[in-house]
Amino acid sequence: MQTIPKTSTAFSSLLRADLVTQWRNRRSFVLLLLVPVIILISWKGIVEKFGGPFALSSCITIGLVAIGLMGYSNSVARDRDKGIFQRLRVAPMPAWCIMASRLLIQLIMIALLVAIIFVAGNNIDHITLSPFGYIVSFLAAIIGGAVYLGLGQLIVGLIQNPETVNSTSRLTYFLFIMIGMFGELGVLGDQLKKIVLWSPYGTVKRIIAAGMQPGTWNSEMTLALLVTIGYATLFSLIGIKKFKWNNK
Amino acid sequence: MNQLIVMSTNNHILQVQGLNIYYGNFQAVRNVSFDVLRGEIFGLLGPNGAGKTSTLSAIEGLLKPQSGSIVVAGNDIHKKPLQAKAAIGVQLQATSFQSELTVSEILQLYAGIYGVPMSREKLFYILTNIKLDEAAGKKFGQLSGGQQQRLSLAIAVLHEPELVLLDEPTSGLDPQSRRQLWERMEGMREKGHSVLLTTHSMEEAEAVCDRIAIIDHGRLIAIDAPHSLVDSNKTNPEVIAASRRGRITLEDVFIGLTGKAIRS
Repeated sequence: MQTIPKTSTAFSSLLRADLVTQWRNRRSFVLLLLVPVIILISWKGIVEKFGGPFALSSCITIGLVAIGLMGYSNSVARDRDKGIFQRLRVAPMPAWCIMASRLLIQLIMIALLVAIIFVAGNNIDHITLSPFGYIVSFLAAIIGGAVYLGLGQLIVGLIQNPETVNSTSRLTYFLFIMIGMFGELGVLGDQLKKIVLWSPYGTVKRIIAAGMQPGTWNSEMTLALLVTIGYATLFSLIGIKKFKWNNK
Repeated sequence: MNQLIVMSTNNHILQVQGLNIYYGNFQAVRNVSFDVLRGEIFGLLGPNGAGKTSTLSAIEGLLKPQSGSIVVAGNDIHKKPLQAKAAIGVQLQATSFQSELTVSEILQLYAGIYGVPMSREKLFYILTNIKLDEAAGKKFGQLSGGQQQRLSLAIAVLHEPELVLLDEPTSGLDPQSRRQLWERMEGMREKGHSVLLTTHSMEEAEAVCDRIAIIDHGRLIAIDAPHSLVDSNKTNPEVIAASRRGRITLEDVFIGLTGKAIRS
């Protein structure tokens, strides 16, 4: 006699397997976390000139872009290509479990990233925030992470081939970081600076930076938060709608 | 508490009725109907692109047909997908497990997903049974094709399903592995499980299938026991024309009914 397994049991098994898989891919896992830390360490001058929140929020944003665009989208594209999702979908388990497990892993990665940046910022650059600042900026990073996970979902929704997903996500990552960082500093002109401020890079970075100093939060930051949520919703909805479990 | 599934009281483990599947304007499956009985090995044969995998994918719940119904162990696959899927064990055409996980970890993962308690002893028993006890710590990506196939089949039957779906299970296997797989299929039948397999091998269909259905251009063109199909088509001129050795074989019937043209 057959029984339907409990969703919680199936989900926890899947989550454990996804965690092991993530751990075994340590090299990319470490790279995703290490790059923002290296940037933070090499940015002594920036910290002195623009302040700790600017440096920390920039590094967290760079890490979030990497997690969403390179970590999430590439692992989904690769597993879809191998038929791993199809094998899981024929099991008596709701399909949302498959993606929920993946997203939970990315949330753990985001939490790790933020914690590492805070610890590095404190130990190397002596940047300290108020307890409330740590909490608000952590929550802002989670919301910001949703934008880039949504963007990663959009890429795997629109592109089937894993190699094309890989090259597209790398190119998007590079463009986001270069245009975001230099655009924000005004190096690329005032017009682009305004665009960058309201781009996914700018809004995410600004709400994280404002979250680090909750006293500086104003109506423009609330608007930036709403725009951030809008980006996350838009990218995710299109990405989910266009997503195919199988690329055959 | 785990939820019990409503059991079908009739002798059919699978009932497919009026199945139609389209990909855009292309109709891959045309009004296909067949049943699989309890304790039966049923073969679905057809040239490349005939609609076998589309039919199987619909039974597995991987794609939604435009019309028709699929009932597994009394549960409609679209109205009660989890109940229907719990009654099915699946081996997909391409082996498809996370290459970073070891053999033991993959077995434990799917035991959790199918709600099968997996003690260390049971794990060892399964590994020994599929001759992978020494490869338990090997990652899936390091296994040979035959080992991957054995693991895939062990996972398909892990929860003792009433119906096992095998999509070209012996393609790429050496004769020893193929024979072993046939014996496993027969073992499943002896336990009362049903098997639905797709295959290109007429030898396999004749060796293990109780009944076969031939599908071509999305239509079911013949369904019967292998020897009955041969007997009933002995005088068919197209089958006689396809015969190469004077004696009519299942392959001659297949070629006679589906034509000699190579498919994509």
